[in-house]
Amino acid sequence: MIGLLHTLWRRKMVTIGLAIVLAFVVIALLAPVIAPYDPVARVGRPHEAPSAEHLLGTTRIGRDVLSQAIWGARTSLAVGLVGGLVITVLGTAIGLIGGYRGGKVDEVLDLATNVVLVIPNLPLLIVLAAFLGNAGTGAIVAIVALTSWPWGARVTRAQTLTLRHREFVLAARLVGEPTWRIVGVEILPNLASIIGINLVGSIIYAVIAQVTLEYLGFGDPLSVSWGRMLYNAQNSSAITVGAWWDILTPCAAIALLGLGLALINFTLDEVANPQLRSGPALTRWLRLVDRRRRERKPA
Amino acid sequence: MRVPYRRLLIYAIAFAVAIVMNFLLPRLMPGSPVEAMIAQFGKRATPAMIEAIKIRFGQGDATLLEQFWDYLKGIATLDLGISTKYYPQTVLEVLGRSIGWTLLLVTTSIVFSFALGSLLGTIAAWRRGSRFDGVVSPLAVVLLALPPVVIAVCALFLFGVSLRWLPLGYAWDPAMDPGLSLAFLGSVAWHAILPVATLSLFLVGNFQATMRNSMISMIGEDYVTMARAKGLGESAVMFSYAARNAVLPNLTNLALALGSVFGGSVVTEIVFNYPGLGLTLFQAAISRDYPVIQGQLLIMTLATLLANLAVDIVYLWLDPRLRDQAA
Repeated sequence: MIGLLHTLWRRKMVTIGLAIVLAFVVIALLAPVIAPYDPVARVGRPHEAPSAEHLLGTTRIGRDVLSQAIWGARTSLAVGLVGGLVITVLGTAIGLIGGYRGGKVDEVLDLATNVVLVIPNLPLLIVLAAFLGNAGTGAIVAIVALTSWPWGARVTRAQTLTLRHREFVLAARLVGEPTWRIVGVEILPNLASIIGINLVGSIIYAVIAQVTLEYLGFGDPLSVSWGRMLYNAQNSSAITVGAWWDILTPCAAIALLGLGLALINFTLDEVANPQLRSGPALTRWLRLVDRRRRERKPA
Repeated sequence: MRVPYRRLLIYAIAFAVAIVMNFLLPRLMPGSPVEAMIAQFGKRATPAMIEAIKIRFGQGDATLLEQFWDYLKGIATLDLGISTKYYPQTVLEVLGRSIGWTLLLVTTSIVFSFALGSLLGTIAAWRRGSRFDGVVSPLAVVLLALPPVVIAVCALFLFGVSLRWLPLGYAWDPAMDPGLSLAFLGSVAWHAILPVATLSLFLVGNFQATMRNSMISMIGEDYVTMARAKGLGESAVMFSYAARNAVLPNLTNLALALGSVFGGSVVTEIVFNYPGLGLTLFQAAISRDYPVIQGQLLIMTLATLLANLAVDIVYLWLDPRLRDQAA
C-alpha cells in the first residue's frame, strides 16, 4: 500500500491531477466564504463584461458568473463523488459476485450486465428524466447510477475470474476460510487498482451525465450548477450575442475538473498495467538502446 | 460464419427491456402524462382522440396484460402513436424525417474517429516513450473526460462565432432548395464539418487509448519478432502484423461505445441545431411530447443493437479463427 502511494507520488501527472481536484474540493467547501456574491441574486446589469467588480462578468439576468461557478462546484462534485461511489460499489459487487460464484448466478448477472450495456445510456436517461419531470439532484444520481454500473462490473468480473483459480485463493479455501473472507480479504485487495480506475472513471461519467442532463433542461431549475449555467447561457443565446464569459466559464470549470480526474486515471492505469508505462524511466531506457544501436552501426 | 446465439439473446432482451420500460413508465410515474397530453391538444382534442390516448397510456378499462398485448401489436405494426407536438403526424413520420441526418453524422464520425484513433494509438504504442507518445497518449485520456457539451459549445463559439469560418448550425443553407444538386450537397458537407469534428473529438480518445493498450500487448508477440527477423520494413511490421491483430479488441470497444455515440450525437445536434434524432428528442422533451420521446428510445436502442450486430459480423469476417470455427 505504501509502495503504491510512493509510486503515485513520484509521478508528476498524478500530482497535478490531485492538486486540481483538491483545489475544486476546497473551493466547493469554502463556497460561502470565497464567492463574492449571492449566486442567485441579481447583482448587476445583464451580460456585463468581466470587470474588477464582476471578475467573470454577469449572466443574462445579472447574476455574478464567478459566484455561480464557485457554488456550482458543490453540485458537480457532490453528484460526481456520490454517483461515482454508487456506480463503483454496484459494479464491483455485481462483478465480484458473478466472477467468484460462477454458474447460474454468474450467467444471470453477466447477461444483465451485457443487456444494460447495449441500451443507449443518454436516451434512456432522457426518457426517465422526462417522465420524472424536473429531476432533483438525488434523482439524477440514482438514474445515472442505475444505468452505468455495467462497465465496472465487466472489468471486475473478468479480473475476479482469473483470480479465483490462483493458488492463494485455493489455499484460503482449503484452510476453510469463510467465503466473505476469501472475497473480502484475499481477492478484493488484488482488485484495488481496477476499483480505483473504475471509481475515477465513474466520477468523470457522473459529472458528465449530470452536466448533460442539466444542459438539456432536466435538472432542478432552482439549483446552481455548471450544467444549469450552460443551460441558462444557451437559452439567453449568450454565444450569439458574444457573452463568452457566460458560456466559457462553466465549460472551463468542467474541462478543468475533467482534466484533473483524467490525469489521476491515466496514472492509475499505468500502475495497474506496467506494460502501458511511458514515463521518464522508459524514455531514458529507449534513448540508451538507441545510442547503443547507433554506436554499433558505423555510419 | 454465424453470430453466437448468446449475443442475439442479449440483443433480444435489451430490446424487450426498452419496450417494457416504455410501456411501464407512463403508467408508473406520479402525475399523469395523459392529462398533460390532453391539455396540450386543447380545443383540437376530440373525444375519440382522448379515448385513444387514454388507452395507449393506460387509463382505459383494459387490464394491464391486455394493454401490454395491444402495445406489442402496435410496435409490431410499426405504429408508435401520434406526436402530440406535431399532431396529426405520426411518431414514425416525425422520426423518419430526422433519422437520416443522425445516421450521416454518427457514421461519418465513427469512421473518421475510429481510423484516426487507431492510427494514433498504433504509432504511440510503436514509439512508446517517444515525445509523440508522451503528448498524444495523455491527450487521449483528457479528451475522454470532456463532456461533448463542452467540446461542442467551445467549437461553436470559436469557429462559428469568433472566427466565422463555419456555419452556426442547421444541416444546410436555408436559402437553398433541398435537392440532389452539387451545390446543395456541398452545403450539407460544409454544415456537417463542425458537428462531425465535435463528435469525433469526443470519440477519438477512447479508440486511441484502447488501440495503444492492445497494440502494446501485441508488440511482444512472436510473430512480430518473426516479421522483423524476416527483414520486413518497419511500417510493414507495424501495420500488417501488429496493428492488424490489435484492431480486433478495438472493434469490441467500438461496439461497447455505440451507446455513448448516440448520447454524444444527441448533445452535438442540440448545440449545432442539427435536425437529427437528438434535436427531435430535445424538442419533444421540452414540449413533453411523450409518444415521440418513447419512439426515440425504441429507435435508438434498435439502432444500437443493429450496429452491435454489424460489429459482430465484421469481427467474424476479420478474425479467421472465429470464421473457420463455425464452418
